[in-house]
Amino acid sequence: MDAAFLIASAVKVLIVLGFVLIAVPFIVWMERKVIGHMQDRIGPQRVGPFGLLQTIADGIKLFFKEDIIPGQADRVVFFLAPALSVITAFVALSVVPFGDKVTVFGREVPLHIADVNVAILWVLGTTSMGVYGIVLGGWASNSKYPLLGGLRSSAQMISYELAQGISLVGVILMTGTLSLAGIVRQQEHMWFIVPQFFAFVIFLLCGIAETNRAPFDLPEAETELVAGFHTEFSSMKFALYFLAEYANMMVVSAVAISVFFGGWHGPILPPVVWFLIKLSLFLFFFVWLRATFPRLRYDQLMAFGWKVLLPLSLLNLAVTAVVVALTG
Amino acid sequence: MVEAILFTLFSLSAVAFSLGMVFRRNAVHCALHLVGVLLSLSGMFVLLHAQFIAAIQILVYAGAIMVLFLFVVMLLNVRGESPLLTPGAAKGFGFFFAFIAFVELLWIVLSRGGSEGLPEAVAALSPGFGSPSEIGRILYTTWLFPFEVTSILLMIAVVGAVVLAKRKFA
Amino acid sequence: MDPNGVPTEYYQLVAALLFTIGIVGVLVRRNALIIFMSIELMLNAVNLSFVAFSRQYGQMDGQIFVFFVMAVAAAEVVVGLAILVAIFRNRETASVDDVHLLKG
Repeated sequence: MDAAFLIASAVKVLIVLGFVLIAVPFIVWMERKVIGHMQDRIGPQRVGPFGLLQTIADGIKLFFKEDIIPGQADRVVFFLAPALSVITAFVALSVVPFGDKVTVFGREVPLHIADVNVAILWVLGTTSMGVYGIVLGGWASNSKYPLLGGLRSSAQMISYELAQGISLVGVILMTGTLSLAGIVRQQEHMWFIVPQFFAFVIFLLCGIAETNRAPFDLPEAETELVAGFHTEFSSMKFALYFLAEYANMMVVSAVAISVFFGGWHGPILPPVVWFLIKLSLFLFFFVWLRATFPRLRYDQLMAFGWKVLLPLSLLNLAVTAVVVALTG
Repeated sequence: MVEAILFTLFSLSAVAFSLGMVFRRNAVHCALHLVGVLLSLSGMFVLLHAQFIAAIQILVYAGAIMVLFLFVVMLLNVRGESPLLTPGAAKGFGFFFAFIAFVELLWIVLSRGGSEGLPEAVAALSPGFGSPSEIGRILYTTWLFPFEVTSILLMIAVVGAVVLAKRKFA
Repeated sequence: MDPNGVPTEYYQLVAALLFTIGIVGVLVRRNALIIFMSIELMLNAVNLSFVAFSRQYGQMDGQIFVFFVMAVAAAEVVVGLAILVAIFRNRETASVDDVHLLKG
């Protein structure tokens, strides 16, 4: 653990952190613009060129709003919950490889913050810790709609985590490694979406449910629960939840890209650019889904998770295992 | 040196969180303190070169089991039990027996009882110690039978939970 | 002991301390949920001890044991919480002192 390694790691942490913080306002702008056009509206256009600065203006507005804490709230947990949401999202990004090794000052620097041999478990673990942010936010508000949102989200996340984890095992069987960089390296000639198409579909559906995005956004369903778990949150605490949601979308997209879409691999353009192109396509897909599908009913959501996704992911795993055993 | 500092940090936080878990009134706070203990222990597992176990600790214990705990605590929504601790002499006995147990454990640890054949020095680590592939190799060869028994146990637990939750009392 | 590592006994001490705190929790708290959490704490103290010995011997069987302990703990929690929910439904209490009748 020499000084150069520490400096390189610190620089990479700053780059990833800065990238997410800068990218989120533009993703929000993209979402509003795209949904606007899909619904035959224009979307934001007043602040800055094409309304690009709209989200930043919104952020500044949130920053100056009064921070309201409900009288009956559990103050410590009320502070802790939004922070937990953001922290877990950022921590999960630490194992995602966004490019191949580059040479800086004659040293090889791999383009991920940490290459641990349990990277996939790490991502799954931290995203499953993310549920605390939502459940505790709902509980600490001491109000009935947030509590319902929190309970819904804990049940939803436990249910969908299972199928999500199992859908990744097929790829792990084929590659024999849990390291995301290792998995990407084995996709030089064929992306794993080809042999593992069903696993990809299951993973993506579960990922959307894990990030509480439409059509699985039951924890904050505004038509039933006001705003779900973040009803009582205002000012920067609300902004943190907002940031966490988009950071989580990036985590799911990044993992899907690394595991199924060849990570940084791609012709002509440099690896990092390919990774960013794929990332933007995934984020666009998230937005597209939100504009297209109506929200599920809660019993439909549970039935879909347990009776469709889980058996399918197990079937996919069994078939993959047999094929790997016969050919491998 | 780094290891010693991290060990001190993790052990202090583990003990502090566990004390909080036992003596906080609110059940949700207790569950959160237990999550703190689990995360500290996960850090210690990494120090002990058990990366796979550390990841599983976060994924299974902190991410799934404790969420289930929180879910039940919030579902039941028990308003703080009126006396925090058990009343009267039972409390004294509780602390007394816990103290005796601690002294016993301390004696075992310090006297190195039953440590015949324990290597004096820490054994050299084989490459891949604690990695998922090594764990898998041992799990599916030496420990295959217990592993299968575990799967049956989990199945029984699932069936039991469903039966208990579905039964309509009264 | 290796020069820059932490001796195994230190890990054992932490494990012993956590285990004792777990015993205290089981013996003095009345809320069944907290008692449950204390049992989890004791299991974790034992896990720490297993992993520390696994490091000392340089063999991974201790880590395998931790794996099994976690599986058993998961099964125990699932059934235990289901029982708690059933009791609560029936008697509106989570205190172990109020559940002292075999029937009723």
